[in-house]
Amino acid sequence: MSHAAPSPARPLFAGLKRLPEFLVIWVPLLLSAGHVVVFTAWTTWISFTPSTLVPVDGWVGWRNYTNVLATRNWKIAFDNLLIFGAGFVILTALVGLLLAIIIDQRIRGENVLRSIFLYPMAVSFVVTGTVWSWLLNPGMGIQKLVNDWGWTSFRFDWLIDRDMAIWTIVIAGIWQSSGFAMALFLAGLRSVEADLIKAAQIDGAGPVRIYTRVILPTLWPIVIAVMVILLQFAIKTFDLVRALTGGGPGLATQLPALVVYDFMFQRGHLGRGSAAAVLMLLTLLGVLLPYGAWKYYQRRRDARA
Amino acid sequence: MRDASLSRALLYAVAFLLAFLYLIPLAVVLLNSLRTAEEIVQTSMIGWPRVWAFQNYTAAWADFCIAQTCSGIRPYMLNSALVTLPATLLSTLLGAVAGYAISLWRFKGDTWIFALVTLGVFLPEQMRLIPWTIVLRDVGLTNTLAGLVMIHTVQGLSFTTLFCRNYYIAIPADLMKAAKIDGAGFFRIFYRIVLPLSPPILIVTVIWQFTGIWNEFLYGVTFTTGTQQPVTAALIALSASVADVPQHGVQSAAVVIAALPTLLVYLFGGRYFVRGLTAGAVK
Amino acid sequence: MSRITRRTLLAATGAAAITPIAHAQAVKPRLTAISQWSAGSDGAAITALGKKFEEKGGTWQHSPVPGFTTEMMNKLRAQIMAGDPPACSQLKGPEITAWSKIAPTLNLDAIVAAAGYEKVVAPDLARLHKPGGKWAALPLQIYSTNMLFLSKRAMDKAKADKIPVTWADFNALAEKMKAGGVTYPIANGGTRPDDGQKFEAALAGISPAAYRAACMNLDEKALKGPEMKAAFAQVRKIADWMDPNTAAQHYSTFLSRFVAGDMGIMIQGGWAQGVLLNAGFKLDDFIIAPGPSDNGKPVFLLNADAFIFWQRKEADLQAGQKLMAELVMDPAIQTMYSQITGSIPVRTDVDLSGPGWSDGQRRTASALKEAVAANQAVLSLAHNMAQENGMTAAMIDVITEYVKNRSITPDQAVTRLAEAVEGAR
Repeated sequence: MSHAAPSPARPLFAGLKRLPEFLVIWVPLLLSAGHVVVFTAWTTWISFTPSTLVPVDGWVGWRNYTNVLATRNWKIAFDNLLIFGAGFVILTALVGLLLAIIIDQRIRGENVLRSIFLYPMAVSFVVTGTVWSWLLNPGMGIQKLVNDWGWTSFRFDWLIDRDMAIWTIVIAGIWQSSGFAMALFLAGLRSVEADLIKAAQIDGAGPVRIYTRVILPTLWPIVIAVMVILLQFAIKTFDLVRALTGGGPGLATQLPALVVYDFMFQRGHLGRGSAAAVLMLLTLLGVLLPYGAWKYYQRRRDARA
Repeated sequence: MRDASLSRALLYAVAFLLAFLYLIPLAVVLLNSLRTAEEIVQTSMIGWPRVWAFQNYTAAWADFCIAQTCSGIRPYMLNSALVTLPATLLSTLLGAVAGYAISLWRFKGDTWIFALVTLGVFLPEQMRLIPWTIVLRDVGLTNTLAGLVMIHTVQGLSFTTLFCRNYYIAIPADLMKAAKIDGAGFFRIFYRIVLPLSPPILIVTVIWQFTGIWNEFLYGVTFTTGTQQPVTAALIALSASVADVPQHGVQSAAVVIAALPTLLVYLFGGRYFVRGLTAGAVK
Repeated sequence: MSRITRRTLLAATGAAAITPIAHAQAVKPRLTAISQWSAGSDGAAITALGKKFEEKGGTWQHSPVPGFTTEMMNKLRAQIMAGDPPACSQLKGPEITAWSKIAPTLNLDAIVAAAGYEKVVAPDLARLHKPGGKWAALPLQIYSTNMLFLSKRAMDKAKADKIPVTWADFNALAEKMKAGGVTYPIANGGTRPDDGQKFEAALAGISPAAYRAACMNLDEKALKGPEMKAAFAQVRKIADWMDPNTAAQHYSTFLSRFVAGDMGIMIQGGWAQGVLLNAGFKLDDFIIAPGPSDNGKPVFLLNADAFIFWQRKEADLQAGQKLMAELVMDPAIQTMYSQITGSIPVRTDVDLSGPGWSDGQRRTASALKEAVAANQAVLSLAHNMAQENGMTAAMIDVITEYVKNRSITPDQAVTRLAEAVEGAR
């Protein structure tokens, strides 16, 4: 990584000649970073105000936080985020890897298959949620179809099962995002040095062994990239749930993004909604900070080596 | 070699089974787009058309009334294009320059600003809705497509900068050094060296941005008015309220039409997408 | 007596307040409006209203905001925060009072007084549209949320022909249907308002007084009263007769099974009539009746759509607001509107004997009249008429969990509901 830094950090602004360059670098970066900082700070501020329908000044201390934390909605949403986040990220990555390995076998119709696995990425979450709400509905979807074929005791009713409903969102999520994971993994698989595989083959390793011992270990950086991208999907999941389960049955599939929107806009409690948003971001930082620290540590180690 | 051909057959079997599964939702929507609303309500959401209702497509494209405007989703498609294309291009270009600056020109504070920009990837849009409302008011872009372009450009920078920076970091330092010794400046190196190497990653960011902005609903419906609204808003408008028969037939047809641009982008861009990623986007 | 005096006074001040509007008559009236009515019969009705507005010489600028009500409110909020509220916008129930606090609304007292509108509006309803005692919004149409829709074929299977009046009748009919081979005696959707409607129908039918105290006034004692427990027990019965497989689907998804007699009874708003007819079913496929009421007199759960008017300085918009207000209160316009959407007029003095009205609408209108007379017209909780959205959502949370989870007992539900109310206060 350090090889990319040709010279030590330079002064930002060296004369008028470099003004265009300065503008082109800093205006977009400051806008982008600025909106993240300002919006987050603003939301944090609102979370301490008595704002309801519109933002207002004032100070209510931790009241919005205690109020949100006391609701069942938040508790359920938080637990669900852990289940959904882990389930969705891990399973999507695994399915994506499987698809990538299949495509990587130089099979015929590769272009067609790749397009088929990738097209769900092009579809909006609302449409995905709606279609899967039909397919997963035991009264008219897959279960009914199998029942009608004669296997009458077949049950696939996760959608109406409080404990399993969150997994229906995982299913729809996998369908939508595994193609992207596949593309990333495929990219990784294809950039493995051919010599490495040759060497393993000469040593007499079978295809499975080559994958587990030679190829997959080189994929780690990609696994991390996939995880990060899937994680942001998981955290932002909103339209999908709204269209697929509506947060139900009961409150069983609430997710933090849903609770934030619900409090802010449906219930007219900007303050509480903002508190929920801040809690959600703190959770996220709890995941990202260790990752950042690990990267930092790695970089330092590499730099020393 | 019996083993090999057997495992080959198994491989194809799995591949086609999976492809079949992935196609089911598309098939359901396509079939519904060819059934009448009455037929769907009177039978089931999933089924084979009894009568092929091709008129759903003409209705969705050109006839369906949304409020007083009976022009189907056609004008809304145009609105979406007017927002999506500039926002995609702007965010991609600016992100490319920013990523180039961060990865190859290291400057003071680059790590921090990059971390903050990347954090933007994770901010839920629900949280940004009211701040954007205030920003739009203050810059005077309430209820304009230009306002939407601005929002999507600024937000999109998070992704494009992240992607491009990760790509450019693999450009050999020697190449940069040689260019600098030749006296090339910031922009010259970008045009002459970096940009020619960029198509793979630019395709990735373009696809990503295009799809994301095209499918966006919340901002589109909040920050535009009437016949200015993007196609996602028109799609929801077709799903009538609690007091009406859902127009699933026309709606499905509209969904298919509205998804065509993004589907085509993936269909034709998919190959380059993987190629672009292969070329180093994920390092 | 003092009330009359006060009203006269208000009317006088109101008249003073809108004098500029009278002057503005010379300009061409223009109206900017926001609603979520974009398509279907809702869209058709508001389009027809717009045509009338244009016939009177106005410029009609309606921006429908598709999606959930929340999206419409996001739009309204954005407009208000930008200092550019629409001249009028769709808003209903206690939210009218809540929103009237964040931006100045028009004082409609004089226009309302001139039209003699207050006399012909149910008092509970009128109150909702008068934040701080001044008319700022006008109701447009009324639905009852607790109508019974009985499937003719299911009735045949049950060999029943009597329309249930009390909850005991209702339960007996459902049992008969079950015994007669109707798979699910209750037809339902799985959305939150759907679940809420079951509960409000149960409680209001058991005791309108308890409903008023608990759901409208949030009286602590009433919230823990025996009627609440009885209502939850009734909801459990209803839930057990429903198809559990509906998940979050819209009730209209299952209309075919309802008409075929595979499902027996819908507890739905009056709008379901229009939906059934639009879906190609016939009036003699089903029977419409008022919701069960244990005291025999009709209980009416009011759901009313309304327009709130925001203060604008432009002369043309002010003229447009005046014209719009007059149109909304006009019996002919209300007739036109309700005949398109299947609702009933807000005005209790509209004659529904004409050919444009259905039996269901006539029955609903007479039920409203009787219910108002017996003080049994109450505001719907499930459709955001009884409480502000925050409170409503907190209460529906409990109700929907109860409907979807058999292991929650009525006692637990009562406790949870009371807690939810406390938490959302």
